[in-house]
Amino acid sequence: MKLTVDGLLVYFPYDYIYPEQYAYMLELKRALDAKGHGLLEMPSGTGKTISLLSLIVAYMIHNPHHVRKLIYCSRTVPEIEKVLEELKNLIKYYEKCQGETPNITGLVLSSRKNLCIHPDVSREREGKLVDGKCHSLTASYIREKHEMDDSIPICQFYEGFNREGKESMLPYGVYTMDDLKQYGADRNWCPYFLSRFAIIHAEIVVYSYHYLLDPKIAEVVSKELNKEAVVVFDEAHNIDNVCIDSLSVKITRRTIDKSTQALQTLEKAVAELKQEDASRLTAEYEQMVEGLREAAVARDTDLILANPILPDEVLNEVVPGNIRNAEHFLGFLKRFIEYLKMRLRTQHVVQESPAGLLKDLSARVCLERKPLRFCAARLQALLRTLQVADPAAFGALTLVAHLATLAATYTRGFVVIVEPYDDRHTLSNPVLHFSCMDSSIAMRPVFARFQSVIITSGTLSPLDMYPKILDFNPVIMSSFTMTLARPCILPMIVSKGSDQVAISSKYESREDVAVIRNYGQLLVEISSCVPDGVVCFFTSYMYLESVVGAWYDQGVVASLQRHKLLFIETQDSAETSFALINYIKACESGRGGVLLSVARGKVSEGVDFDHHLGRAVLMFGIPYVFTQSRILKARLDYLRDQFQIRENDFLTFDAMRHAAQCVGRVLRGKTDYGIMIFADKRFSRADKRSKLPRWIQEHLRDSLCNLSTEEAVQISKRWLRQMAQPFTREDQLGVSLLTLQQLQSQEQQDKIEKQVIQK
Amino acid sequence: MTTSSEDVLLSVGHVRYKKGDGTLYVMNQRLAWMMENRDTVAVSHKYADIKTQKISPAGKPKVQLQVVLHDGTCSTFHFVNPAGADAQAKDRDQVKMLLQNLLPKFKRQIDGELEMKSRLLSLHPTLKHLYEDLVISKVINSEEYWNTPTLKHYTESTNMKQEAGVSGAFLADIQPQTDGCNGLKYNLTQDIIDAIFKTYPAVRKKHVDYVPNKMTEAEFWTKFFQSHYFHRDRIASSSSKDLFGECAKMDDQAIASAMKHTTLDLTVDLPQFTEPVPLLPEEDSGEKEKDGTSIHRSMIKRFNQHSIMVLKASHKTNSSSSSSNGSSKTTNNNKVENGMKETNGVEKRPTTDKDPAEPVDKKRRIMEKLHYEDLDSINSGQDAQELKLSKVERYLLGPASQVSQSSTSTNNPPPLSALASVCQAWSSGQQCQRPVRVSAAAAVGALGELSPGGALMRQHHAACMAQLVPQDVKSELNRLYLSGGELLRELWRCFPQPGASNDSEDTPARAEKFYEALLRFRNVKLRPFEEKMLRDLTPLATSLTRHMNQMIDTACAKYALWQQRQAKLR
Repeated sequence: MKLTVDGLLVYFPYDYIYPEQYAYMLELKRALDAKGHGLLEMPSGTGKTISLLSLIVAYMIHNPHHVRKLIYCSRTVPEIEKVLEELKNLIKYYEKCQGETPNITGLVLSSRKNLCIHPDVSREREGKLVDGKCHSLTASYIREKHEMDDSIPICQFYEGFNREGKESMLPYGVYTMDDLKQYGADRNWCPYFLSRFAIIHAEIVVYSYHYLLDPKIAEVVSKELNKEAVVVFDEAHNIDNVCIDSLSVKITRRTIDKSTQALQTLEKAVAELKQEDASRLTAEYEQMVEGLREAAVARDTDLILANPILPDEVLNEVVPGNIRNAEHFLGFLKRFIEYLKMRLRTQHVVQESPAGLLKDLSARVCLERKPLRFCAARLQALLRTLQVADPAAFGALTLVAHLATLAATYTRGFVVIVEPYDDRHTLSNPVLHFSCMDSSIAMRPVFARFQSVIITSGTLSPLDMYPKILDFNPVIMSSFTMTLARPCILPMIVSKGSDQVAISSKYESREDVAVIRNYGQLLVEISSCVPDGVVCFFTSYMYLESVVGAWYDQGVVASLQRHKLLFIETQDSAETSFALINYIKACESGRGGVLLSVARGKVSEGVDFDHHLGRAVLMFGIPYVFTQSRILKARLDYLRDQFQIRENDFLTFDAMRHAAQCVGRVLRGKTDYGIMIFADKRFSRADKRSKLPRWIQEHLRDSLCNLSTEEAVQISKRWLRQMAQPFTREDQLGVSLLTLQQLQSQEQQDKIEKQVIQK
Repeated sequence: MTTSSEDVLLSVGHVRYKKGDGTLYVMNQRLAWMMENRDTVAVSHKYADIKTQKISPAGKPKVQLQVVLHDGTCSTFHFVNPAGADAQAKDRDQVKMLLQNLLPKFKRQIDGELEMKSRLLSLHPTLKHLYEDLVISKVINSEEYWNTPTLKHYTESTNMKQEAGVSGAFLADIQPQTDGCNGLKYNLTQDIIDAIFKTYPAVRKKHVDYVPNKMTEAEFWTKFFQSHYFHRDRIASSSSKDLFGECAKMDDQAIASAMKHTTLDLTVDLPQFTEPVPLLPEEDSGEKEKDGTSIHRSMIKRFNQHSIMVLKASHKTNSSSSSSNGSSKTTNNNKVENGMKETNGVEKRPTTDKDPAEPVDKKRRIMEKLHYEDLDSINSGQDAQELKLSKVERYLLGPASQVSQSSTSTNNPPPLSALASVCQAWSSGQQCQRPVRVSAAAAVGALGELSPGGALMRQHHAACMAQLVPQDVKSELNRLYLSGGELLRELWRCFPQPGASNDSEDTPARAEKFYEALLRFRNVKLRPFEEKMLRDLTPLATSLTRHMNQMIDTACAKYALWQQRQAKLR
């Protein structure tokens, strides 16, 4: 349908629309008009993506001078693929209505591994190896060598692209990964570099978070993107963690060993080079004198990782004298590694600030801050000079150099923690964490650079937390509920078992046999009355393991198997994938399956259990993050001091967003339905309940907040019977589904206005 | 003498049959035995009649051979060669070997129908009950039994070969029982053994290897239950003593190879979900800690494997029996693993003759995931074939009313409801939706009221009955209903349909037969049951069979009425 949103003509590729989609578009438009940032929460499975795309594309067409580009960031590869397909649908709809393709190019950028079409390189299963092999075929010096000597292999696809590809633009249209590969294969062009090149001019770019948030990658990939752009972070409930991870470094003994090896290789290479062709080293030295900037001229294939620090912190100066010489620099690095080795030898936990680390460094091994800051860039330059074919072998060393640069650059918002032992075990496994505590550091340049940044997800409650921890001022901050013609979600809080023992995963009672048995009973009862798929989430993997063990002894597993097939997430993700695919088979064949999984695990973050794949989801306990972790403690302290966020508030917020994320996986669209069971007494407390997303809270009536196992099962049975009745469009129309006429009626418009909950 | 026309393949003297010595002849067509010094054949079995032969175990003093016939009778021949046990055994084995060769040839000749019938009975316990109740107790004869429509449905349907899958909990169902003196007893049925074999091919292989050469059946299963393979909470012992240690490894390998050969659906391919930062070493790659919880870990792995194998076992039988069904469902998972994969999803155009199945499939999956059925206006049943009815009202109301309408059109106006539904069908453009009699909500409400605890079920009658009646009585009653119902249905079927005047000649005869059968049933089956109930379950006795009796009475009354009319007509 073609609808007008606040005066803007929007093409929406469906014949009907959910009221909240319209409301969402309204709010989104306001944010775009104001050229500000927005924070929007809309229930999962109500067509967020298509609303976003339709509105922004329409906006771009009508205001080409205000918004030139849409950068759509999503978390997982399947999500990205889905976005592209939706976009394709939309463009097809434009084509159908207007008779011609709109002048819009949309494409995806993904890793080399996903885009490579080189027959040998693409066969590698691991991304790291693909990157390395690609580099060894495309680096500028390799290609130079090839011109002298034909026997040195290069990549024909890159050569093809380099010769012809840069002159032409991609024809208008939408390119998924497969389309890009096909397009590349037809022309003998490298799809990866084609995409890297094309995103600069394309109107719509879809890629993963890292390409914008991680300075190491963003500098290489997204540096030249237009500033008059709308950036969308979809599924952004975890965005703070992504920011933090992108600026954090973890050093283990393995890293040290590997980097020592790499260092020796480099030393040897330098010595050899000195004998054979000293001129290259001198040339490099000269370059250092002139500054690093010039050294890196437009050689997009050479550089895989840029500086780990944000571009505004990169010193635009001449490299300090004591690391200009290659040998000196290697010596410098060696001292740094030795220092780290010494720090890892400690027997007790050490926590200090980066400043403390710097001071210690200068006192013990005489390493000054300034040269440390240049470490990453200097190593990059050296690797280039030495014409290293496979940079993958120097990964560990690169990491160490990154640590040096980060530690020397940032003094605030970071913490250094050395732990000689594992969290839970007494095994000696020393780790040095250089951890970022402030998610706003990585986020700030994005907010500053682009005119509108939209952060959206199905679960962002409580909304006011995000502006605080990401440190920005949204012009729009809204949460949307779900209009429903029938109660298609059934959230329940089960607080006690059939024996009236309170169930809770809190630390004191989680190993209690009665609690575990009650959890087991609940699951057995539910799996006997719910059809098809049942998904359960545990608070941690450790807990899952011990509960499964106990259930086996108690016979719970046997009675579960009587009803459905049992699948369990493991720490091996390949194994889990296989279990998952079989779980799906079990659901589809009608046998039904139970999947035990972990909140914060890979399954909870990326897999949807829509329709029959998840008719019920159980959350066993509140998924608090492991609170004894020192990194977390440091972060909590920092948040308290810096942003006035109380520890408990943050912990609860974090736990509840994960819980909501887990249970939200069952619902997709209004024809779907699912039971959501929160099995922990503590969920019924106001501070927890109020932090659930609005659309779940609305259905969580008081009468559903303190149930025993039997009561919950009775309610489920009744509800399932209701849901099994035929559900037609007529039931939905006018309430949760609108035609164009209905949408345009004044009454509806008012209703929609009212629905938006603004904060 | 009949023997003269046939070839005698073997004759063995000194064979005793029912205390008389004689000679056993193995002939072309049959097995015969003649008393000594007589010239008439005392025993003669056609090979086609023989079901199996049995021989006495090696250690027994008597050397015997028994043939079991299809009708259940058997004849035993005792070999009494005076030369001693060895000679006797040799005689016997000769006969045995010969029979072994001969019998299968005749097996095929025996009535395929009979075989099928017996298989049917063994496959379907309800049919067997029915057979026992009706045929063996001589309520009706076998032929009538097989001609009832219920049975015809079974015998004529060709797709009855639907194998049951494997229960997910079959291992758990083997409940160990303590035998009182420090031992455990496991009850193993053929079903469970089948399930184990189906699910765990490795165990089957072991079984083939070891039984009966190296150990007996019982020993094998004892070992099985002792092994960690069965007890999943035990850590696998690495010692080679454990018979099934190898099995676990074989399973691991099977799963691993299956993992490698399955192209993962993109929505579940976890390792590919996130794009790692290039070049940097990945965290904790390769380091797998071994610690105390690895019991649980291996257990979890076993659970997953178990479920996967159960699924595979039932899947296998599915696809083999109905291939057309299986292939459509599984396409998105089992893909050719190579071919496309090698070039990362793309082939050069010239060689793209074979359609790149993976991307298409992938795309279909994505579309499936992002499609909102309720936002699209197109009806989901677009590509389905539309049902075209020439006479809508016939579909709505069944053929009976139609017939009566046509035959009695002069005096009887068609029922109003029929008219209404016809009008409705017209108004909705012949789309022929079934008229909504009650709304969904009302239906749910009614269901609720009718379930125990609802307004209409206040007295808890059903619940009480269910609790008061012991299990065995319940199953007996169930059987009575089953067989009684069958007879009743047959009887009712014999009555002519209203308006359908063209009766075939045999319906009265048929009706009479079933009427009598019903009375017989009442006397032979129902009465004894009632008497037994009177003795055992006094308060309930009459109420239990009241309904059954009522049904029979109604049928009998109807029959009497019909008979009267028939008489009048004549």
